[in-house]
Amino acid sequence: MVAVVTAFSRMAEPESQCIARALRRRDSEFIGRMVSRYHYRLLRYLVYWTSRREQAEDLVQETWLRVLERAGQYNGRLRFEPWLFSIARNLAIDYLRKQQTATHRMCREDEAGLNLAATDFESPFFAAARSEDAKRIAAALGALEPIYREALLLRFQEELSLAEIAQVAGAPISTVSSRIHRGLSMLEASLGGGDDAA
Amino acid sequence: MPLENHEKARLLLDRSLVEGISPEDRLWLDAHVGQCAECARYGDLSARAVRALDWFALELDPAAALRVESVVRSRAEGMRSAESRAKSLWIGTAVAIFLTLAGSVVTWRPVALLASQWNLPSRVSQIVFVAFWLLPSLLLALLPLFRRKLLGEDSDSHGQTV
Repeated sequence: MVAVVTAFSRMAEPESQCIARALRRRDSEFIGRMVSRYHYRLLRYLVYWTSRREQAEDLVQETWLRVLERAGQYNGRLRFEPWLFSIARNLAIDYLRKQQTATHRMCREDEAGLNLAATDFESPFFAAARSEDAKRIAAALGALEPIYREALLLRFQEELSLAEIAQVAGAPISTVSSRIHRGLSMLEASLGGGDDAA
Repeated sequence: MPLENHEKARLLLDRSLVEGISPEDRLWLDAHVGQCAECARYGDLSARAVRALDWFALELDPAAALRVESVVRSRAEGMRSAESRAKSLWIGTAVAIFLTLAGSVVTWRPVALLASQWNLPSRVSQIVFVAFWLLPSLLLALLPLFRRKLLGEDSDSHGQTV
């Protein structure tokens, strides 16, 4: 009887509370299922940030390890996704900062005559584009700054509310809103330009 | 049609995609877009821009996903067992300290009796009791907590490394 009541109360419990409890208990079965469930969305979010598939995959793993370390900070009162994405975001920004520093260093070494090879990679946006139209959008997405790509992804693909996006980005709602508008207008410009050309 | 109507329509079209708009605004917008080809085209373009985001689909590498899952699961298990060990250690230490103090209370009586039979000053017997009974017992009780530091072990060596 007690087991039935416990099972029923768990069913009635909001999902975010279940996640918070599982994280605190280090429930590896549950955490494994969550990793698998959020893998694609987290990877896509990190690709939007870094524009690099390999680094995004590494960051997915780092994000989950950071989630485990900070499990005590998630209390389950808010949705899990914004918290997860905010951790991923911080890691992506750290990665981009390190990369910028490394690029500056490489430039200085290049200037000093060390002749380092330039890094060459295919944008994942272009890799996914199969039609001409898609390539045009890929170019537009690739040209957008990560903060605009992030805002568009979180609003239109993750379907987070403006308040939740503000929580992820650590920015006021008005800023988030203007980022979405600006990102959209850039995409519209590229689509409109394509139509005009056609 | 007044120019401000087109501006209002475009503003509402943008807002309908991002923040959402009120039912009254929606009615006004639908009526306007029904009559204005230019604003209808703008609305279509905005909707296409949003839909354009959907074409971007990553191909998942199942092996990579499994690898991440396995690493995270094993880290979670490692942390769980490390935390369980730490919990046991703290409980063990608390019990050891309690037994030390309780044992000291019980042992003090025969020690004090012996000291009075040997005519030792009570100050001396107290110092001897603390130095040769209480302090060593307490140090032994606390020893497991500082074992890693004393042995120079890295706290990250038990499944804690990234």
